[in-house]
Amino acid sequence: MPVWNFCNFFILKESLAFIFEMAQLHEDALREYDELELCYSETVNVAGKQRDFGGVERGDDQAALLNPGNKPLTQIVQDDSFREFEFRQYLFGCQAKLLFKLNRPYEVASRGYSFIISFSKALALYESILPFCMREVWVVTACLALINATSSHYKDGLVAPDVEKEFYRLEGDLYSLCRLKFMRLAYLVGYGTHLERSPVNSASLSMLPWPKPAVWPSIPPDASSEVLAKEKMILQASPRAKHFGIQRKQLPLEPSVLLREANRRRASLSAGNMHEIFDGGMSPSNKSHAAAMSRTNSSPGNFESSIDRPMRLAEIYVAAEHALRNTISNPDLLKSLSSLEEFEQKYMELTKGAADNYHHSWWKRHGVVLDGEIAAVSFRHGNFDLAAKSYEKVCALYAGEGWHDLLAEVLPNLAECQKILNDEAGYLSSCVRLLSLGKGLFLTKERQAFQSEVVRLAHSEMKQPVPLDVSSLITFSGNAGPPVKLCDGDPGTLSVTVWSGFPDDITLDSLNLTLMATFNTDDGVKALKSSTAIVLKPGKNTITLPLPPQKPGSYVLGVLTGQIGKLKFRSHSFSKGGPADSDDFMSYEKPVKPILKVFNPRPLVDLAAAISSALLINEPQWIGIIVKPIDYSLKGAVLHIDTGPGLKIESHGIEMEGRTKPIENTVAENGSLTEKKKFELLKLENGRVVFPDWASETDSVLWIPIRAISDQLPKGSSSGDSQKRSIVDGMRTIALKLEFGVSHNQIFDRTIAVHFTDPFHVTTRVADKCNDGTLLLQVTLHSQVNAMLTIYDAWLDRQGGVVHMGKGDGRPTSGFFPLIISPTTRAGILFSVCMENMADTILNIKYGISGDRTTGAHPPVLVESAESDGTKQDLIFRSALIFQRPVLDPCLAVGFLPLPSSSLRVGQLVTMKWRIERLKNFEQDEILYEVNANTLNWMIAGLKRGHVSLSPEQGSRIVISILCVPLVAGYVHPPQLGLPNIKEASISCNPAGPHLVCVLPPALSSSFCIPA
Amino acid sequence: MATTACFIIVSRNDIPIYEAEVGSTVKREDAAHLHQFILHAAQDIVQDLAWTTSAMFLKAIDRFNDLVVSVYVTAGHTRFMLLHDSRNDDGIKSFFQEVHELYIKTLLNPLYLPGSRITSSHFDTKVRALARKYL
Repeated sequence: MPVWNFCNFFILKESLAFIFEMAQLHEDALREYDELELCYSETVNVAGKQRDFGGVERGDDQAALLNPGNKPLTQIVQDDSFREFEFRQYLFGCQAKLLFKLNRPYEVASRGYSFIISFSKALALYESILPFCMREVWVVTACLALINATSSHYKDGLVAPDVEKEFYRLEGDLYSLCRLKFMRLAYLVGYGTHLERSPVNSASLSMLPWPKPAVWPSIPPDASSEVLAKEKMILQASPRAKHFGIQRKQLPLEPSVLLREANRRRASLSAGNMHEIFDGGMSPSNKSHAAAMSRTNSSPGNFESSIDRPMRLAEIYVAAEHALRNTISNPDLLKSLSSLEEFEQKYMELTKGAADNYHHSWWKRHGVVLDGEIAAVSFRHGNFDLAAKSYEKVCALYAGEGWHDLLAEVLPNLAECQKILNDEAGYLSSCVRLLSLGKGLFLTKERQAFQSEVVRLAHSEMKQPVPLDVSSLITFSGNAGPPVKLCDGDPGTLSVTVWSGFPDDITLDSLNLTLMATFNTDDGVKALKSSTAIVLKPGKNTITLPLPPQKPGSYVLGVLTGQIGKLKFRSHSFSKGGPADSDDFMSYEKPVKPILKVFNPRPLVDLAAAISSALLINEPQWIGIIVKPIDYSLKGAVLHIDTGPGLKIESHGIEMEGRTKPIENTVAENGSLTEKKKFELLKLENGRVVFPDWASETDSVLWIPIRAISDQLPKGSSSGDSQKRSIVDGMRTIALKLEFGVSHNQIFDRTIAVHFTDPFHVTTRVADKCNDGTLLLQVTLHSQVNAMLTIYDAWLDRQGGVVHMGKGDGRPTSGFFPLIISPTTRAGILFSVCMENMADTILNIKYGISGDRTTGAHPPVLVESAESDGTKQDLIFRSALIFQRPVLDPCLAVGFLPLPSSSLRVGQLVTMKWRIERLKNFEQDEILYEVNANTLNWMIAGLKRGHVSLSPEQGSRIVISILCVPLVAGYVHPPQLGLPNIKEASISCNPAGPHLVCVLPPALSSSFCIPA
Repeated sequence: MATTACFIIVSRNDIPIYEAEVGSTVKREDAAHLHQFILHAAQDIVQDLAWTTSAMFLKAIDRFNDLVVSVYVTAGHTRFMLLHDSRNDDGIKSFFQEVHELYIKTLLNPLYLPGSRITSSHFDTKVRALARKYL
């Protein structure tokens, strides 16, 4: 029975796997190898026997994890098992081969990555017995081999998207791991100065421990020239100055100072010597200082001292390079480390590979960061275009996610690229972004440098104005509290708080602020402009902008735009009453707070006539206009007064008085408030009146002296005629235009109708008519005004014809006077006149009026103040009297003479006769007559219409006869005689003609008979 | 207590809203910067993992040499990310849970705008106390 050992087991299992493979049962074969691996790891981990690890042979540094046939198995047999170094790679190689056959490159990559990690750990355990940096070299070669194999086997689209993503991620990881180890090797041979001290490099390298060989390689004896070359390289490589003079400690690329580590690992070095090196008190993490220190410690060429002397940095590099040359058997890798150019080429290849794969796997953060590394190399090579593009990606990522610490690291680089590329817009926006980063990230001096760059560029000769978004730097908000409220059409001022993130004062040549209506978006936004240059202090500034009239609605702040030199900037961000320390707020919708409310048009003021009752025509009268501001100040208001036709402003003195409301009167009974009733005399200039200040808030009445002119003599009417004079005759209009508001922008137009009238309306009636022609004329006076009228005298003027009885001057008894007529009452005066000719009689009334202008008609305005007896002034009212002839006063009598006794028959001639008699003297001697008859019923022979002469004497008569033939039997209207020239009232029909006459049928005649 | 620990709260918009170095020793002043970088990169992993489990505590999701990134994702997709070198999984879980409570209390503050930076010193003190207790 064979003794069980791993070799036998292996032979068994592998034969089985081989058979499976032959039978195309790759899965089963793979399972055999998996089991083998499991068993091997168990046997290896059994503590006890000290086994040989392997990996010390030439060429072992090249990973053979995909090459199971690298070494014959017989070579790696050790006792009853296999050497771990070779055998684990062999097992993985077999598995990979089967997986590739199964077309599962993803699994190869996945298993490979973990294999490399775990194998690297195993290598670390045996690092002291392995060649110098064997572990790093192995990982680099293993990763590259794995990447090559898997990517060549991988075909796009054959797997699920998830797996594909994962595959690219693994590839990225492999590249990344490879890159890391490669950088470590490069650092050891002195290319550290060419590694970008970026967060990604620093994070990976500074946490990766140095290789731990048993003894650090020492410098070969004949390497003095190489040491010199390295010294030169160290000297030449000055640490890259940061842009904008940013003073920032450089990120470390090493876990601890290499100088110390290397010398410590040299067995022959005593601890005392170590302190000699570092007694300068320098910070251990600063590599460039360490390099400088090493320079001062020994002059070049003076390195043939004893081996115990601590190595200088250049010597360490040379020693490491030599040791690596011994370790590395792969010519490609050796070449990559042989010169700086080769190193950078390889470095770029690895970085690009990692970045691309991460991008494919949607690990954008990993990928973009590596883009930044590519950018750094491009930048160093002067390929600024590429560098800027890559840096932009990095910045966009960090800025988008708000990681400002990381952004602060990259953004200056981008700005530098843009500056070199002369990309003004990009450079400016980078500067603005630098300024808007947290204040703690940069020193004030650096921030000032950013600002001066912005200002310098803004005032330089830019080809075209560059737009710039400074939302993160200049923020603005409306003032706290309720929004500004304006009436429609009013201008105003808007106070806005602007926060400046600039470290120094900055001068804005102009500043515009748009307002956006919250509801109606159809309107274009309107910009408020500040005309003068504005200096923004760092921090909070309050800016007042003039506000032109806006449409009704509520408005929120829109965009702040402005100009610095030729730079057009705009800012969209609102601040919450303080400087927004980050863009966090932007991601949330802000509650929109209206800053301005413009109300819908509403009446702001009302102008109305103070009285509705009529005023005296042809007399100077006060017309009152009530000015009623409706919650709106009338400060500085101007009233334009334009009188219509037939109206004249009497004087330029206009009175204005306060109008106390009835409520106030009742409250302040003791009169203290009413005493304060304001009164002021205003001056009318060019039809304009300027309101006093006290009238801006309260109601007031404006009294304007005015005279309505009417040259018509008022006409009385007779008592029977009830018609009154049309009210329109006394109507006059005043056009008022009130300009008010802050800049007289509000205009209120109103045309006020004022009613003027005569004090009386006169009606006359003949009360009695005596036989001698004397008339008693009753004159009724209707008071037309809302005031007490006092009649002092009344008389009639005649143009001739009226002869007064009594005293002869037409006055009634003087004892009647004064006669007082209350408003809207009537009074009568009786005149006794002798009538000869009634025409053109004029009634004169001397009267006085006592009224208040607040109620209606009132005593005329005293234009001349010189009149001393102004208290009572007698007025004269003149009215033409109209007499009406009595209704029944016929001058002609028309009589229808009786028809012949024999009845009328159809076809028989009949003579119609009318007698016309003159009743009184009457001018006309020719009378026009007309006979009207229905032509269907009557045939008329002779003149139907004609003139007849009638002697003018009273009692003269004439008979008009007309020959007619009735045509129709029955009751018909007879022909009528009309006198068209004479009014019907003057005609008396006596005796009256018949309404109907009976016409008999024609007499029977045999000649008409027709035998049936 | 962990020697190195960096705690960051990342809002659902990927913005860091709270940062604290809670390790007992701060080795280097630039460490915070590197820690931020590592945690930022770890978000790539969180974005993949967060939807694969219903648990809030995602355990250690990323390793960076000796350092481990543990993540706790709240229902609102706010991420608590801890970069640490200790292996105390239970402690970390308790730490996260307690911080979650604190965070909810902060959210309930009507003056706190969700997604904005947490500037409350009380919150900071409490988080540091919790870190001393659990990490």
